[in-house]
Amino acid sequence: MTDLSSQSVRSHLNRRNRHQTMIKGFGMAAIGFAALMLFILVSSLVSSGYKAFTQTHVTVEVFVDPAEIKPERLPRGGFDDVLLASLKTYFPDVSGRADEKALEGIFSNGAQFTLRDRIVADPGLIGQSITMTVPTSDPFDQLAKDLVKRDTPETQRRVSDREIGWFDTLDQAGAISQPLNWGLISNTDSRFPELAGLKGALMGSFWALLVCFVISFPLGIGAAIYLEEFAPRNRLSDFIEVNINNLAAVPSVVFGLLALAVFIGWMGMPRSAPLVGGMTLALMTLPTIIIATRAALKAVPPSIREAALGVGASKHQVVFGHVLPLAMPGILTGTIIGLAQALGETAPLLLIGMNAFITSAPDSPLDSATALPTQIFIWADSPERGFVSRTSAAILVLLTFLITMNAIAIYLRSKFERKW
Amino acid sequence: MFDTQTPEKTVTSDTLKFTARDVHVYYDDAEAIKGVNVDILDKTVTAFIGPSGCGKSTFLRCLNRMNDTIPICRVTGEIRLDGQDIYDRSIDPVQLRAKVGMVFQKPNPFPKSIYDNVAYGPRIHGLANTRADLDVIVEKSLRRAALWDEAKDRLDSPGTGLSGGQQQRLCIARAVATAPEVLLMDEPCSALDPIATAQVEELIDELRQDYSVVIVTHSMQQAARVSQRTAFFHLGHLVEFGETSHIFTNPSDERTESYITGRIG
Repeated sequence: MTDLSSQSVRSHLNRRNRHQTMIKGFGMAAIGFAALMLFILVSSLVSSGYKAFTQTHVTVEVFVDPAEIKPERLPRGGFDDVLLASLKTYFPDVSGRADEKALEGIFSNGAQFTLRDRIVADPGLIGQSITMTVPTSDPFDQLAKDLVKRDTPETQRRVSDREIGWFDTLDQAGAISQPLNWGLISNTDSRFPELAGLKGALMGSFWALLVCFVISFPLGIGAAIYLEEFAPRNRLSDFIEVNINNLAAVPSVVFGLLALAVFIGWMGMPRSAPLVGGMTLALMTLPTIIIATRAALKAVPPSIREAALGVGASKHQVVFGHVLPLAMPGILTGTIIGLAQALGETAPLLLIGMNAFITSAPDSPLDSATALPTQIFIWADSPERGFVSRTSAAILVLLTFLITMNAIAIYLRSKFERKW
Repeated sequence: MFDTQTPEKTVTSDTLKFTARDVHVYYDDAEAIKGVNVDILDKTVTAFIGPSGCGKSTFLRCLNRMNDTIPICRVTGEIRLDGQDIYDRSIDPVQLRAKVGMVFQKPNPFPKSIYDNVAYGPRIHGLANTRADLDVIVEKSLRRAALWDEAKDRLDSPGTGLSGGQQQRLCIARAVATAPEVLLMDEPCSALDPIATAQVEELIDELRQDYSVVIVTHSMQQAARVSQRTAFFHLGHLVEFGETSHIFTNPSDERTESYITGRIG
């Protein structure tokens, strides 16, 4: 019998247990650190971004003065004067060009266009009083959200004491509200933060991802099936395999340069178009999909291939009838993760001009557009204070899409997972 | 369910099915089969026995050209099925495999319904023109594999949901559905419990009435129970081949004797 109570056995056991505890401790520390970093990232984004999910609005009674706005001159007219007049009912003592200009500055620059569009749509409103709720301009939005501190010296703040007084008067009259900022999703980009939204970027990303999927999914699966199932094992196929793996590691900015030279420079495709963006992203996603598909095909147990071959199925019947359907969950997971990567990719899109300032949403993959990550890049670069919180909000929107896509991948994987 | 019939030990047919002459198999440069000559009779169970790595499975896979799927595998020599060289250029391995069915070590039903498992072979070979024809084939094959009574009410449920022994019988049904002439079985009971093994062995004996059966087995008791003829392989050589009763009671080669008495293996 082995003596398990001897001194050396016990010290051995103690050492083993100590090692195990240490390894477990390291693992838990690493996970804890990662979780902490994630928490810091998300909480800093949320704390700076949540204010962009509301937008300060001002509600005023607007008398559409027939003297200023004439039906026959539409869509021209003194819309800004009409708006100013509505504010003047609160502040009758404001006079003089400069003061009126300052008072008018409470409204967003877009307010007059909102009014114009409403009257153009229904000219019968001329001569009537209508209630309008329009965004305030950025400085007043910042003031309402307490991002402009009232106790800073007047010379160092963007709103003067008098403007604060106007705002407070309006607030006390119940004219100020802070509804959810749907404009963040339904508006296109704008120079004015209070009007800027992600619609153009969302549509641009959608078109680019669609193009990317349409190109890279069939091509990637086809290439993977050929390489894994049909290609002879020789130097050439080894060479191709090594290069595909290398391609997956090429920095994305290089793909952008390639796209700039080939798609735009040589093939003459339009700049800033989601079509070109999608093609560039497809180049990057292809290796990911090929590698994921090959791994999924390899993971199909050989017994299934043997079973099919054993009853006389030909090679293509084995592959398309048995192996491919069983590999599909893995392929879809890899594809979605590849597309999620493509969704967050910025550098190649910068090179093909998808970071232009574009104030309309693309109707087709050929229209100029931005994408979510490039829109974030543009906003992060903008000097207006309002874009600070909007940048964080846009990052949160992007993260939401990424998490959703990954959740779909996990769902598909668990739903179609087979037990052998 | 178990009738007490014992397998007929004498060979009842002398029609040749397979004839193999001077077969060598190489994996790259390693020679796995070193010049094997074998005659396999129709309506007979032939057992291949031998220690692990002796080449019995490799040789079995030559008979339906499953080795073709291994790129580094090379077969020389001559294997004839009913006088026709199966490695001839004019032979399509896909059709050969419909004539020479195979059952594998581990039950490997497709992750499809029981019906589709059995119907797969007839479908891809175009053996049934109508759904009714296919139904007949499926029922006949499942009956042949002694699975009909257990499976007839659940033809649409997945084949992978059956028990291990049932799965293996489903695989046998799938193999016989293409109406093969020869059934190759590569250790068909090694993943089964004793009761399922007994069922499959009984089935093998019944199948002998219609098919030539070649079975690779690690169990000498199994070879003795189910086969009429036994071939003993050792290190790539066919050491001894003859009637099972003869091999087990009166082996002429001392290596065979050592193996069946448990001294090598």
